[in-house]
Amino acid sequence: MIEEFMSLLFLSLLLGSLYSMMGLGITMTFKIVRFANFAHAELVTIGAYVSVIMINSLGAGVLEAAISAFISSALLALAIDELVYKPMARRGASALYLLTASIGVGLFVRYILSIFADVYGMLCVQSKRMPMRIGEVAGADITDLHIWVIGSLVGIVTLLHLMLTRTKLGKAMRATACNFDLAQASGIDTDLVRRITWVIAGGLAGLAGMFWSIYAPINPEIGWRYLLWAFAASILGGMTSFYGTIAAGLIGGLAEIYGITLASRLFGVSLSYRWMISFIIVVVVLLINPKGLAAIRIEAIREWLKAPRLKLPKFLSAKRR
Amino acid sequence: MVILPLIISIFTFFGLYLILSISFNLEFGYAGQPNFGKVLLYGVGATCAGRLVATIVMWYVGADVPFFSALAADMRLRWGAESPLATAGLFVLALAVAMVVGGAIGYLLSYPTLRLSGDFLAIVMICAGEIFRIFLKTYEPLAGGPFGLSGVPGPFSFVPDPHLKETLYMLLVLAIAFGCYFFAQKLVNSPYGRLLKAVRDDELAANVLGKKVVRVKAEILTIGSAMAALAGALYAFYIRGVYAEDFVPMVTFTAVTMTMLGGLANNQGVLLGCLILTLFDRLTRASFFNMLGIRVAFDISYIRYTIMGLLIILIVMFRPKGLMPEEPVKTPAIEMAEEKLAKRAEESTSP
Repeated sequence: MIEEFMSLLFLSLLLGSLYSMMGLGITMTFKIVRFANFAHAELVTIGAYVSVIMINSLGAGVLEAAISAFISSALLALAIDELVYKPMARRGASALYLLTASIGVGLFVRYILSIFADVYGMLCVQSKRMPMRIGEVAGADITDLHIWVIGSLVGIVTLLHLMLTRTKLGKAMRATACNFDLAQASGIDTDLVRRITWVIAGGLAGLAGMFWSIYAPINPEIGWRYLLWAFAASILGGMTSFYGTIAAGLIGGLAEIYGITLASRLFGVSLSYRWMISFIIVVVVLLINPKGLAAIRIEAIREWLKAPRLKLPKFLSAKRR
Repeated sequence: MVILPLIISIFTFFGLYLILSISFNLEFGYAGQPNFGKVLLYGVGATCAGRLVATIVMWYVGADVPFFSALAADMRLRWGAESPLATAGLFVLALAVAMVVGGAIGYLLSYPTLRLSGDFLAIVMICAGEIFRIFLKTYEPLAGGPFGLSGVPGPFSFVPDPHLKETLYMLLVLAIAFGCYFFAQKLVNSPYGRLLKAVRDDELAANVLGKKVVRVKAEILTIGSAMAALAGALYAFYIRGVYAEDFVPMVTFTAVTMTMLGGLANNQGVLLGCLILTLFDRLTRASFFNMLGIRVAFDISYIRYTIMGLLIILIVMFRPKGLMPEEPVKTPAIEMAEEKLAKRAEESTSP
């Protein structure tokens, strides 16, 4: 019983960390370019395929694969922005049209990749470097993939936090995300901020793709399949909050794994319903409060806890008459 | 006669997607509500129609076989072949039920539009469509889960020749599609059309002038959704079955591309866009390339999706309003006024 709980926990942490990693990219780009980028899926897929090629055909190690996945997805993200999104934004395209364009970009990249994958027989591959069991915690197996993924997430969050709060570039990025025009007027190079954001977002997606390729077999559709989890993490986290996205991604992983296991045990529900969970999270959050977790204001909760709730009748009050 | 099935499939596809594109045009081109959940209504219409007809026919046949088995499907199709009047009646009933259910869901979908703007609404709609598809694929009692529901007898089941059957159905679909087209033209060339455009262009101003914007949004989404469900029901009878994997977001994106390419808020433009993309879709299929004898190393459908993606990017970047521009509303009053002016111009120039 405990082993199962723990093994589900580690699976949730693994999946949740990957969702958070993908969601971070969506959150970052949303803050800067103000639209939901559906082509993020393809950044993940490209990272996955690049890492598979590196590991399987070129015999590289995990670190080299990670770096190449990061760089390739970052370059692709940059190219897409320069070719499609930036010209459109400059002409004043609305978020909906940018979203539609991103759908088109996603389709284009996905199926060009499919053509090459089909020609080279790579329509369904997995990296040769499989996760290796390195130990046990309370009866549940831990593989080195768990350590890498969760460790990467912690490292990324730390690095991002340090960059955003301690460096000048980070301050410039926060300023641009807060108020684009004012940032431009203050002399911040918003073009540079935009490019760096895409590089980081794309790189994170590529890294997540690499981990997916180690975790399970990949195909060109894998980005699209997990894209809505990235959106769920981002939207539940509030779409403009980093820590919200990370928390939301982990919550999403826990909700998916525990939710579907409980549902199938208690109600006999088929396990295939797990693919619906991300979509349901997106719809429910957007309908109830689009700000997601970020709508929870700590100050308001603290005040509510402090304030007296019952009105004491006059004869019971301590005031002297 | 290899060319005939191709032509039939082109025109049937054109008819179905014309209905979808016109409904998207009404909702987005005229009223400004991006309903990217077209495939949700399409699937709901198909499931309603297919399931209803299959259930009723199975009840008539009265045999004790599993509902989703191939044997049951075969029995349903054979029963359909022997009872022309009943299948025709069931067809009409199924279309009506699909439209009612679609309209109801469309009305419910208007609630999200009130709370969410443009791109968030699109995301919610896409997710709603996917929720429906996954539900349909997993929940067995509705449409047989991953295997789907086969054996939905169409209205022309009694026709023995398959080519004639397909041709007749194609003509029926085209007739209904053009019926929808003329309905949409009548709807938008009227004061109601002006109201839709007002809601699209400036909701606040329309509200200030006393127009019930919320009600208009609900109405247009109901109408559009009923049309999409009608297309779905026609689709169920076309392929004589209900399969969850047919209701993918690509259906929505295809309809959206057709409308955007042809011309937002211009139904003739939608006709044009629909025709162009139908030809493009049907002529880039493996069957067509096989007919021409061309063979490539990979799956042909990848090229189709690649070009479709590129097309979406190009349209949205360079001609978001489409090929044909929007025309002013031509109410009957304006038509009469134009005739009078033309007559007066003639009289003044004649000696």
